[in-house]
Amino acid sequence: MDKADSTQSSNPRRKILSLAVSQILMEKGFDTVDKECLETLTEMLQSLLVEVGQSARSFCELSGRTIPVIGDVIVALVNMGISLQGIEAFAKRDGRQIIPMPSQASQQKQLNLLQAGTKSSHPPHVPNYLPALPDPHAYVRTPTHKQPVTEYEAIREKAANQKRDVEKALTKFLSKTSETHSLFDNEDNMFPLIACKPAFPPYLAALNPTDQVFDFEELEYHYLVANRTEDVTSKDDNDENESGNEDEGDGEMKAETKSEKDVKPENDIKPNSTTNKAILENPNIDNPYLRAATLPKRAKPDPTLLVAAATASSTSSGTGN
Amino acid sequence: MIGTNFGIYRPNSSNSNAANSVGSVAPEERAAVQQLSDFMLQLEDYVPTVPDAVTACYLNSAGFESNDPRIVRLISVATQKFISDVANDALQQCKTRSNSQSNTPGTHTPGQKPAKDRKYTLTMDDLAPALADYGITVRKAQYFP
Repeated sequence: MDKADSTQSSNPRRKILSLAVSQILMEKGFDTVDKECLETLTEMLQSLLVEVGQSARSFCELSGRTIPVIGDVIVALVNMGISLQGIEAFAKRDGRQIIPMPSQASQQKQLNLLQAGTKSSHPPHVPNYLPALPDPHAYVRTPTHKQPVTEYEAIREKAANQKRDVEKALTKFLSKTSETHSLFDNEDNMFPLIACKPAFPPYLAALNPTDQVFDFEELEYHYLVANRTEDVTSKDDNDENESGNEDEGDGEMKAETKSEKDVKPENDIKPNSTTNKAILENPNIDNPYLRAATLPKRAKPDPTLLVAAATASSTSSGTGN
Repeated sequence: MIGTNFGIYRPNSSNSNAANSVGSVAPEERAAVQQLSDFMLQLEDYVPTVPDAVTACYLNSAGFESNDPRIVRLISVATQKFISDVANDALQQCKTRSNSQSNTPGTHTPGQKPAKDRKYTLTMDDLAPALADYGITVRKAQYFP
């Protein structure tokens, strides 16, 4: 009897029945069996077991009992036409083999993947047959934000610290990018101070009327250009002559300084034309700090323009704050 | 108690009749009953071919549950005996068929093995008439390949 036939089915119980049928057939003298015959006999054995059980239970219940007795089984067997003659001889026949009980398949233990926290038991209203609750992090709400500090002293102190830091950073930046004064009369310049730009008269900035500013970005760009003017001209002690540039770059400068004219219409000041020219020459570079330094032309100082330039710088610094 | 009525309770009124009937039955039938009750006692320490758990599982699927292992073993042995009887009939069928085949002229070849060490293969051709004797018709389902 081919073992391969009996191991076809996946059900382990049916496999055992198939083994039993194979063994009976082998005892009877068969050497091989068709697969369909073995399956038919196995199915018959299984159906017979179930049918005998059902019939015996029916007879048992008919007698008003719940636990079946041997008599019920015998009546059921006789009722189905299965003869009990020679059953003892069959049970004690020679060459009988016993199919060992297959080993209990061990339940695959579920791997506990990264258990977080301890699983809580079911609340009283949840029946026991329901699956256990998942890890607590899956359903427990955990606030992840911190209660912000509302104490006045702390906030005030923080704001003061922040303000001081901003000022310090700004001062440091200005001391590195613009004119500085040194506290001590040596060259190492360890403690630079922002150069003070005296305005004449000092109250002019406060008296100058200014328009409302709509576009801050344009204004800031203009201030950048204006500051650059100061930086470059500071080396020459503010003796730059604007009139020298006027004849060559007046048209472009008109367009460039239009926004400034809007702010200060009566001054009609032109910022450093050198920077503007550099901007025009290298239109793809937007940042004036990145451009090659261009030295302004030397010319006679113009007192009225000088005053105007100083006023413009002080005004810009006043509005910038 | 097992020997008399296999645990089936009978009221007293009919008990006397049953006793009378037991007394009136043929002696060979009484012997069979006695044999069966002896066999039931022997089933106590009998290990069937099919494990008890497998038989009990199929019985449970029919709603039959018993704490008595003898009942389960009896059913197990009885069903296997039935299969064994069927197999026996099929073997006889197989033998007669192969004999008639070998005896028919033309099919017999000189090189054929003698019948006694012939290999027997159980096929549906043999199984179907054997089952037909028991009133079981074997037929393939229409949709089956």
